[in-house]
Amino acid sequence: MIFKNYLLIGILFISLSNTAQKAIKIKPTKHVFVSVPEPSDICYDSKTDTFFIVSDAGGLFETDKDCKVLRKKPQDGADFEAVSSDGTFVYAVDESNRTIYKYDIQTLQLIKKFVIPYNGARNKGYESFDFDKARNRYVLITESNPAILFELDTDFKVTNQTDISAIAKDISSARFHDGFLWLLSDEDMMLIKLNPTTYEVLQKWSLPVINPEGLAFDKEGNMLISCDDMQRVYYFNNPEKK
Amino acid sequence: MKKYIFLLLVILSINSSFAQFVISNGQSSMELSSNFSGFYNYRVMKPGEVDDSKDRFKLRDAQIGIDGHIGKDFEYSFKADIADMAANTITNVIDPENPGLLNANVTYKGFKFMEVEMGYGKLYYSRNSMVPLENSAYWQAAEITRGSVFSVRDIGVTLKKNFWHQRANAYLGAYTGLGELSLAGDNDPSGKLEYIGRFDVSFPCRYRYTEIDERHTPIPMFQFGVAGRYADKKLPPGTAFPANATSTYGLKVIDGERYVYGFDASFQYMGFSAQFEIHQMHSRPQNPNDPLFQNYTLNQTNGYILSGGYIAQINYYVKNIRTILSARYEELDLNDLVIGSARRFSPAIGYKLKGYNNAMVKFQYFNILRDESIDPQDFKQQFRLGFQFQLK
Repeated sequence: MIFKNYLLIGILFISLSNTAQKAIKIKPTKHVFVSVPEPSDICYDSKTDTFFIVSDAGGLFETDKDCKVLRKKPQDGADFEAVSSDGTFVYAVDESNRTIYKYDIQTLQLIKKFVIPYNGARNKGYESFDFDKARNRYVLITESNPAILFELDTDFKVTNQTDISAIAKDISSARFHDGFLWLLSDEDMMLIKLNPTTYEVLQKWSLPVINPEGLAFDKEGNMLISCDDMQRVYYFNNPEKK
Repeated sequence: MKKYIFLLLVILSINSSFAQFVISNGQSSMELSSNFSGFYNYRVMKPGEVDDSKDRFKLRDAQIGIDGHIGKDFEYSFKADIADMAANTITNVIDPENPGLLNANVTYKGFKFMEVEMGYGKLYYSRNSMVPLENSAYWQAAEITRGSVFSVRDIGVTLKKNFWHQRANAYLGAYTGLGELSLAGDNDPSGKLEYIGRFDVSFPCRYRYTEIDERHTPIPMFQFGVAGRYADKKLPPGTAFPANATSTYGLKVIDGERYVYGFDASFQYMGFSAQFEIHQMHSRPQNPNDPLFQNYTLNQTNGYILSGGYIAQINYYVKNIRTILSARYEELDLNDLVIGSARRFSPAIGYKLKGYNNAMVKFQYFNILRDESIDPQDFKQQFRLGFQFQLK
């Protein structure tokens, strides 16, 4: 009798969980294994037509479109979690040391380091970083508890901050693409499209991949998502193309 | 006691005035964390039992942690529980399983082929004991893995290595072998160490040491582990172990040789998760009159006793209401020379409060389905309801 009661309570809780709002499900077209240990973020550079991937172990890697490693930069940081490039420089963000590393894209030589203090938990620090060309600013986002979106000017001075914790349980990557801000959530396994100025959520897609940590769009607008635990990069068609 | 309270207040005031969890200089960082929890405990006693002292409120945890890294090569971890220290001070009795220090160790990562951890902390033997209890809905671990049958913390050196893109982990270490009592500073008169090894492998990707699938993993994930430990602590004539070293069941350290073997398996998929863990202890006391032999002769026992047990646990994480549902069944046979074993069933619920993922209301129910005759309990059921708050 007692077991029956537990079973009924369990079924009740599970049925409650099914009332959550459903996002659109999308599936990858293919995936590749990537020779980067613990790949934590990926970005596309249109000038070099290559991708840059950073690793939890602190390394920076350049790859071709099939994610074959072309160049690698020996470990500089302790825990790289975000990467962005602008055709001239590549920026890698160290989560636990709260530091942005600026590299020359041609030589991968370290140009400068910027420490942006943040007092949140060590593994809940900066996880996402990208340049917003339309507004000439950077965004730097903490992972969770809380997820804070910092707007930085081109001297890496914080000009504004917004708590976006309500959007998802965590934010693992951010990318400006096609006039919108796109976010990735690892824990919710979700892709989220936002208005780039109001940060209003416009659309959500659910992703059937474990531990999605990095987000990039290639020159055709197709989407690549890097997954830390699987050490893979998944390829998706542009989610807005029918 | 006053000192501990003062220290706690100072640290809390630092936290609240600066809302500060991490201090970083761009090369190194140091993180402050804490964990507070307390519960109300109610027991349904067996007929004839009159001691209701366990119907109580209890401050379970008042922990302060400092973790960090120095550059790329050093990591350190310190964690103390002021609730345990205060209890030990008030009662003037040091609880050997809860001395107040939880972690004090340094890991060196400078060798490319392995990491070396030195100091005091959790032992890499049982997966169940390696998973922090504060991440589960439970207030109390299963009997076999909570530190009374074999130790779960000790002082020593551990070599750590992962393979196959972190899907496999290997640990090998040497420790004092006295568990939490090793903090007293001396070994027992045998002067021998305990050696522990563990190897686990997961598929299809790295599987962290967790029990709850909060992410609702879209692909089934598995992990299997094997572990073993060995100690030869034959005491010289006329000597004895330090007080409380052998613990409640007289098994934690024995006057003789002891082998322990364990196997564990874990699974998670779409919010469901399950764990199974089994251990067997092969104890060879050197003295034929050792109480562990239960007055049987050497011919009857062949000079050894077996002990062991298993835990089977299932969980589901209800994501949109942030609730953990768990149920655990455990069996423990303390001595194969005594007929029977203890069986317990324990479901639990953990509800994470909206707005802060690290604040949780937890409820655990214990039902003692059967006692082992050499370890009779005075209660039949227990209810434990409380609140846990972590700053991290």
